[in-house]
Amino acid sequence: MIEGAKWKKWLWFYLPMGMFILALLFPFYWMLVTTVRPDSELYRPWNHPLYSPFWTSHPTLEHVKNLLYETLFGVWMWNTMFIALAATLISLFCGVIAGYALARLKFRYAGLLGTAIFITYLVPQTLLFIPLADIIRDYRIGDTPWALILTYPTFLIPFCTWLMMGYFKTIPKELEECARIDGATRWQAMLYIVFPIAVPGILSAGIFAFTLSWNEFIYALVFLSSPEQKTVPVGVVSELIRGDVFFWGPLMAGALIGSVPVAIVYSFFVEYYVTGMTGSVKG
Amino acid sequence: MAEFDRRKFLQYSGAGLAGILASHQAPVFAQAGTVHWIKWNDFVPASDELLRKTILPEAGKALGLKINLETVNGNDLQPRVTSAIQSGTGPDLFMLFNNHPHLYAASAVNISDVAEAIGKAQGGYYKLCRSNTNDGNKFMSVPWAIIGGMIAYRKSWFEEVGYSKFPETWQQYHEAGKKLKAKGHPIGQTLGHTFGDAPTFSYPYLWSWGGKEVDEKGKVVLDSKQTLESVKFMTAFWKDAHDEGGLAWDDTNNNRAFLSGTICATLNGASIYIETLRKPDQYKTDSGAPMKTDILHSPLPEGPAGRFGMHTFQSHMLMAYSKNQKGAKEFLKWMHDPKNFDAWFVSQKGFATPPTQVWEKHKMWNEDPVMAPYKVAGRLGLTPGYAGPANRKAAEVLTKYIITDMYAKAVQGMAPEAAVKWAHEEVSKVYNGA
Amino acid sequence: MLEREGALAFWLLVPTLALLTLFIAYPFVRGVWLSLTNAVVGEPGHFIGLRNFTKIFDDSIFRTAALNTFVYTGVTTVFKLALGLWLALLLNRHFRGKAWVRAFILLPFIIPTVLSTLAWKWMFDPTFSVFNWLFWKLSIINSRINWLGDPELAMASIMTVNVWRGVPFYAISLLAGLQTINPDLHEAAAIDGANRWQRFWHVTWPLLLPVTMVVVLFSIIQTFADFQLVYVLTGGGPANATHLFATYAYQIGIGTGLLSEGAAISLAMFPALLLVVVFQLWYIRRVENR
Repeated sequence: MIEGAKWKKWLWFYLPMGMFILALLFPFYWMLVTTVRPDSELYRPWNHPLYSPFWTSHPTLEHVKNLLYETLFGVWMWNTMFIALAATLISLFCGVIAGYALARLKFRYAGLLGTAIFITYLVPQTLLFIPLADIIRDYRIGDTPWALILTYPTFLIPFCTWLMMGYFKTIPKELEECARIDGATRWQAMLYIVFPIAVPGILSAGIFAFTLSWNEFIYALVFLSSPEQKTVPVGVVSELIRGDVFFWGPLMAGALIGSVPVAIVYSFFVEYYVTGMTGSVKG
Repeated sequence: MAEFDRRKFLQYSGAGLAGILASHQAPVFAQAGTVHWIKWNDFVPASDELLRKTILPEAGKALGLKINLETVNGNDLQPRVTSAIQSGTGPDLFMLFNNHPHLYAASAVNISDVAEAIGKAQGGYYKLCRSNTNDGNKFMSVPWAIIGGMIAYRKSWFEEVGYSKFPETWQQYHEAGKKLKAKGHPIGQTLGHTFGDAPTFSYPYLWSWGGKEVDEKGKVVLDSKQTLESVKFMTAFWKDAHDEGGLAWDDTNNNRAFLSGTICATLNGASIYIETLRKPDQYKTDSGAPMKTDILHSPLPEGPAGRFGMHTFQSHMLMAYSKNQKGAKEFLKWMHDPKNFDAWFVSQKGFATPPTQVWEKHKMWNEDPVMAPYKVAGRLGLTPGYAGPANRKAAEVLTKYIITDMYAKAVQGMAPEAAVKWAHEEVSKVYNGA
Repeated sequence: MLEREGALAFWLLVPTLALLTLFIAYPFVRGVWLSLTNAVVGEPGHFIGLRNFTKIFDDSIFRTAALNTFVYTGVTTVFKLALGLWLALLLNRHFRGKAWVRAFILLPFIIPTVLSTLAWKWMFDPTFSVFNWLFWKLSIINSRINWLGDPELAMASIMTVNVWRGVPFYAISLLAGLQTINPDLHEAAAIDGANRWQRFWHVTWPLLLPVTMVVVLFSIIQTFADFQLVYVLTGGGPANATHLFATYAYQIGIGTGLLSEGAAISLAMFPALLLVVVFQLWYIRRVENR
C-alpha cells in the first residue's frame, strides 16, 4: 500500500496504471468501433472536419454481415478451431510423457535430449518451410489441415515439454515411491498417481498450446492454398485485402470476431494460462 | 521399404480420417471435371461478379466442367505460384503479371496450340503480349489483357494553376505539381513494392530520359548520364510536388487518396474513374459536383528521349501439375471466343484492353471520351528489359523492384550517383549471373 | 520391461523424437543443402557451394535486414523489460478489480498477432490515421505524420507494435516472480533504513534476475524470428527499410521464387541466434549459481 497523501497515490499508481490499460486495450476498442462504423464515415481523412474517431452515431452491422455471408469466414473459423484442437492434443500427448521422462527418470541422455529439444525451438520457420513443402507434397497432405496438424507440434511440443517438466518437478517423489512399494509398476505409478495430480499443469499447457496454434501464420500461409482450407489469420489477410475497393470494415470485423474464440477460451482459463506461462518461465 | 510402408500407413489412416472430416467441410476445389482458376481481385469488381454469376456457370454448362474461380490480392499471386509449384498441388490456371511467365516456365504446360489459334483468329497479338508470354519457341501462357496505365487528374485543379491541357513535359508537370502541393493537393505516386503502379511509372520514366537497363545486345547500360539525370530530377520532383507517403503505398492507396480528394493526379489504370461512375453520389468535388465530371486521363509526360508507357500485362499459365489440363485448355478456348469474351470486356469499361488487335474496333471505345486514351494502350506499351528482350532475367529484375528502388532510395536521401551505381550493380548481378 | 528407467524413458520420448526428427531435423538438413544449391521454383538446381552466402552478404538489402533484426530485437527487449517490470510492480499491489485488470491486459499477447496488427495498420494509415488526428487536435503537428511511409518512422512503428504485444508477457511473468519474493525481506531492509529505490535494487532485482533472464531469453528468440508483425504492417517496406531476416527470406524465397537464396538468408539467422542464446544460458547458469 502507498501511505501518505492521496495525490501521491494518483501520481504513482492510478495514473500509470490507467495509461497502461488505455495503451494496451485501445486497439481493441478501435477494432470494435471500426467494425460498426458505416463506410461513408469510415473513409474520412484525419483532417476532415467531421472526423470522429471514438464513436459513431450510425452503428451498422453491414460489415459483419458482409464478412459472414460474402466470405468463407465461418469455414476458416472451423478450420482453425479443428487444427488448433488436434495439434494441441498431439502436442500434449507428446509433451506430457516427454516431460515426465526428462523430469523424473534417470537415464544417460536426459540432459542431451532436453537440450536438443530446446535447440529445435531455435530453428527458424522460414528455413524449414521449403523442405517441409517437399515432405508435405510427398505425403500428399498439401493444402489439407493435416499439413498444419502435423507441423504445429514442432513448436508446441518443446513448450509443453518444458512446462510439464517444471510441473512434474514440483510433485514429490515420495508419492510415486509409496505407490511402487505398494506394488504398482513404474508405468502404473506414472499413469494413476502422477498424471492426475498434474492435471492443472496439463490444462495450462493445453491452453497455452491452443493459443499458440491460433497465432501461427507462416506455415498456414505457405502450405494452404484453397480458400476453404485456410485458417482465420491467413484468410483475413489474403481475402479481405482486395483490389481497389475498400474493405477495412469487414477486415476489422474479421479481426474482432477472429479473436473471440481465443479470448473466450482464455477467459475461462485465465488462471491456468498464467500458471502455464509462468511455469514455463520458471521451469 | 520402411518408408514405403510408412507412407501407405499415413495415406490410409489419413484417408480414413479425411473421410470423416469431409462430411463437415466445404466441397474441395480440385476434383476431376473441375478447373481451378486463380486470378487477381479485379480492380473493377463488377467484372468478377459477372464472371461468378453469369459467365462461368455458362461455361460450365457448355463444357461439362465446373470452373472454380478464386481471387486474391494481386501482390499475393507470386507467392502463391511458388507455394503451389513446391507443394505440387494448387490451381490449374494461374494468372500472371507482365513477364513473370518466364520465371515459372519450367512448371508450365506448352500452351502454344491455344495461344496461336486465338492470335490468328483475332488479328494478331500486340508485340508486348508476345514477348511476355513467348520465350522464342513456344507460348508459356495465354495472353489475357493489358491494363492501360494513364495519369488520372483533376481537371479543375490543374486549370486553377494555369494548365488547361495536361502538362506535356516532366518540367511542366513538376511546376504544376509544385503549385498544387502548395495548395494542399500534391501528386500521388507509389514507389513501393507493388506490382502495378510502381513499375508502370518507374520504367517508362527511366526510358523517357533515355536510360535503360540493357541495350539491344543485352549489355547492362543502366549507369549512364541519362539515368543519372532522371534520378536527380526525381529527387527534386518528389520533394516539391509529391505526397511523400507514396513510399509506403501499394496499388490501392493512390486510389483511396484520389477519391478522398487528397491528391491531384496519379498514374493508374482506369479504376479510379470507373469507381466514380459506379458511385456518383459518394465522390464529389469541393463544389458538390460529382467527381466523375472532373477527371480526365493523359499519358505520361514527355522526357528528353520521348514519351513512353509500360502497361501491366496479364496472362494465364496452365500448370504442369494440373490434373485436368484438357479441361483447362477447353475453358481457355471457350473464354477467349469473342462471343464470350465480349461480355467480360464490356464490364471492364475500358479498364482492360484485350491482347489482340481486332478489339480496337469495338464500339465501346466510342461511348465515353474520357476513356479514349486507353484504347491504344497495347500499341504503345514497351516491356521490362527494354531494349533487350523481355526474358527471364528482365523478369527477375522486375520482380526484385530494382528500378523502382533506385528512385525510392534517391528520394529517401541516397546520393543520386550512389543510387544509380547500386541499381546498375544489382541489374548486372542478375544479367551476368554473378 | 518398462520397469527399467531407461526403457520407459525411451518409449515415452519416442513420439516426441519421431515428430521432431521428421519435421524439424530432417527438413533442417534439407534446408542447409538447399542453401548450397542454386534451386529456384520448379527447378532443383545443382550444388554451388557457398555462392549464395557470398551473394547475400554482398546484398545491401540483406545487410539492412540483418541490422534491422538486431536493432528491432535489442530495442524492443529493453522497452518490454522496462515497461513490463513497471507494470508488474504496479500489479503487485492490492487494489479493487485486480483480477479483471490482470486478465484484460494479457489480451495483446493472446490475440493472434495478425489480427491485432491489422488494427494497428489501420490506426497508422497515412490518410485515415487516428493518431494523426489526435496530434493535430492537440496542435502538436500541422501536417501528416507518415507512420509507415517514412523509413525511420516505419521502424519505430513496428517496434511500437512489438512492444505493445510483448509487455503483457513480461509483466505477468515478472509479476509471478515478484510474488515469490518474501515480503519479510523488504521489511527487514526497510527497518535497516533502505529507501524504496535501494530496496528495489538490492532486494527485488537480484531475486528477480533468474526469472527475468528466462523471460528475456524466450522473448529474444521469438522477436528475432518475427515474421507476422512486419509482414502485415509494412511488408518489409518502405523500400526495404523494415525488412527482418524472416520477411526478407520469405520475399526472396517464396515471393521471387529464388528458393536457395531464401534458404541461405534464413540460415544466416541461425548462428546469430544460437550465439545470443548460448550467451544467455551461460549467464543464467552463472546467476543461478551465485
